[in-house]
Amino acid sequence: MTALAILLTTQLTHLAPIDILILVLYFVVVLFIGFYVKGSTKTSEDFFLAGREMTAWIAGLSFVSANLGSLELMGWAGAAYQYGMLATHWYWIGAIPAMLFLGIVMMPFYYISKTHSVPGYLQLRFGEGARGVSAVSFAFMTILMSGVNMYSMALVMKVVLGWNISFSIWVGAVTVAIYVMLGGLRSAIINEVLQFVLIWAGAALIPILGLWEAGGWTKLKAQIALNVGSSDYTHLWTTLGSFKDNPMGVHWTGIVFGLGFVISFGYWTTDFLVVQRVLSANNLRAAKMAPVIGAAFKMAVPFIVIVPGLLALAVLRDPHTHQIIHLVGENQVDAAHPYSYNEVLPLMLIRYCGPGLLGLGITALVAGFMSGMAGNVSAFSTVWTYDLYGAFFNKKASDAHYVSMGRWSTVVGMIASIGTAYLVMHAASIMDYVQALFSFFIAPLFGTVILGMLWKRATKAGGFWGLLAGTVSSIAMWLYTTYGGQQALARIALSVDAKPMAENLYRAFWSWLICVVVTVSVSLLTRPVPEAQLAGLVYGATTIPDDGARSLWQKPIFWAAIVITIFFFLNIIFF
Amino acid sequence: MAEGTGRGESLSIWFFVGGLTLLYGIILLPYGAYEWFSGHESSTVLSNLHPTFWWGLLLTLFGGFYSIRFRPGKG
Repeated sequence: MTALAILLTTQLTHLAPIDILILVLYFVVVLFIGFYVKGSTKTSEDFFLAGREMTAWIAGLSFVSANLGSLELMGWAGAAYQYGMLATHWYWIGAIPAMLFLGIVMMPFYYISKTHSVPGYLQLRFGEGARGVSAVSFAFMTILMSGVNMYSMALVMKVVLGWNISFSIWVGAVTVAIYVMLGGLRSAIINEVLQFVLIWAGAALIPILGLWEAGGWTKLKAQIALNVGSSDYTHLWTTLGSFKDNPMGVHWTGIVFGLGFVISFGYWTTDFLVVQRVLSANNLRAAKMAPVIGAAFKMAVPFIVIVPGLLALAVLRDPHTHQIIHLVGENQVDAAHPYSYNEVLPLMLIRYCGPGLLGLGITALVAGFMSGMAGNVSAFSTVWTYDLYGAFFNKKASDAHYVSMGRWSTVVGMIASIGTAYLVMHAASIMDYVQALFSFFIAPLFGTVILGMLWKRATKAGGFWGLLAGTVSSIAMWLYTTYGGQQALARIALSVDAKPMAENLYRAFWSWLICVVVTVSVSLLTRPVPEAQLAGLVYGATTIPDDGARSLWQKPIFWAAIVITIFFFLNIIFF
Repeated sequence: MAEGTGRGESLSIWFFVGGLTLLYGIILLPYGAYEWFSGHESSTVLSNLHPTFWWGLLLTLFGGFYSIRFRPGKG
């Protein structure tokens, strides 16, 4: 709260009338889209899966945009300032292979099983118990994540413009609630595509002008090395040989296995928030292409998120004293250090953008937060309606009743998110908070889904107990390291030099491993599922239908090969 | 069917994208020109490069192309 009190007195800038016009126009269009598509959102298929009529491009852009919330914008710009280029791992190794795996390997199973959700797939494969555990943990996570987005938006508005934090939270929440309630996933997807374009339109000027001011990439690296006293901040891999050699306190095994394998694959292939967008595709080929298109755009996002964080290390100076500004953690903000890592993007925005462009940049940030909120709340309403209310409370209601429940749960989910937004204010760092949530819920879920999809011998009891054991052990490890000191940290994260982010990665890996071991053990002790019941759900028991691609450039695997080649190329360039 | 909206609706998602960016371009371009030619540039870093004008021009071209390409009734 001390930080908040100080921030209240350090408003950075004011909006000119032209900025307000740009911001208001955005809200008008967003709400118009909600009212416009309401007429075509009548059935539950329309409301929860956008009628399954989206093209690969729309589903792909929405897939990326739903993820492009506060975590991506403010959180990772701040992390880039704090940890340097290591933050890029969360965009490249922490996303690209998993997105391609989703498109090429997993999407056919999700798509041809005609499931409405990831918990719905688990119900088909492992029964109601696994669905219940995953639905409850997912609903809980989406509400918390939606709160992160609200708080981030409110923080930007307060720090940059001096707006009241509650006013900002409610404006964003009410707007998103209206357009998602009216048009469901269809409305959310259309807005997400629009938001993706606006985020680029509003944020791309920061790295362009920043690199101009720094004198190019090579001079930027040299300036960072001079200001920070280390060249570690501009390398992806060279500093990962030991926990002590990099600002994140992480080892390459944590990045490759914890992030690249467990967290990344868990998030991009089993988090229903993103998978829901791909399920809206109009045919199997579009469903396979959407994550490939998403991966191509995801590789470019560090330009507007990571580069501004790095630029701040080199060029962000106090306009009066001309001294480099040192940003600190949210809980270390004081009179001498008035700005936190999370504020690096607004600070860079104000540095380069005058009237008009400032409004566009603020609109980009608002668009990012709203896409994050909409993604979470639309996924929440789907999982609540199909996998909790429809599965456990009212199984035989009419389609119209479920649509109505979807609309009401959107509003209730948003109100619950507002509550969590106030909780987030007490977290030391948005990134730590979010990564902890991922390791609780996403890592074990990935273990259950991947075994269920690729291993015929996995049984219902194995899936349920594996998921439960993974989730409970992850929370237990978090409590152990939070209260157990350095000794506990060394046991979980393999080094006393590990920092919180590294600990999150290893905790995710251990909880995934526990989930897999328990699932395999229990499965081997229980009766196998007859193969006939696994058709359409499991590799080896399913005939994958032809996706209709004839020429090379129509084949998702061809484009996936191009994307993965660029991915390797980028990792080598910035090694 | 309009791509990305709904059955029987006439506005494409890409028309929304083009329309909003065109509106922003139409707002920023003249404002940037006014700043440039009247010497009322803001005090931001690199304002001497006239980013408002050039970015406004880019958004106008991008938005104009998408608005025309995906205009209602085009098919």
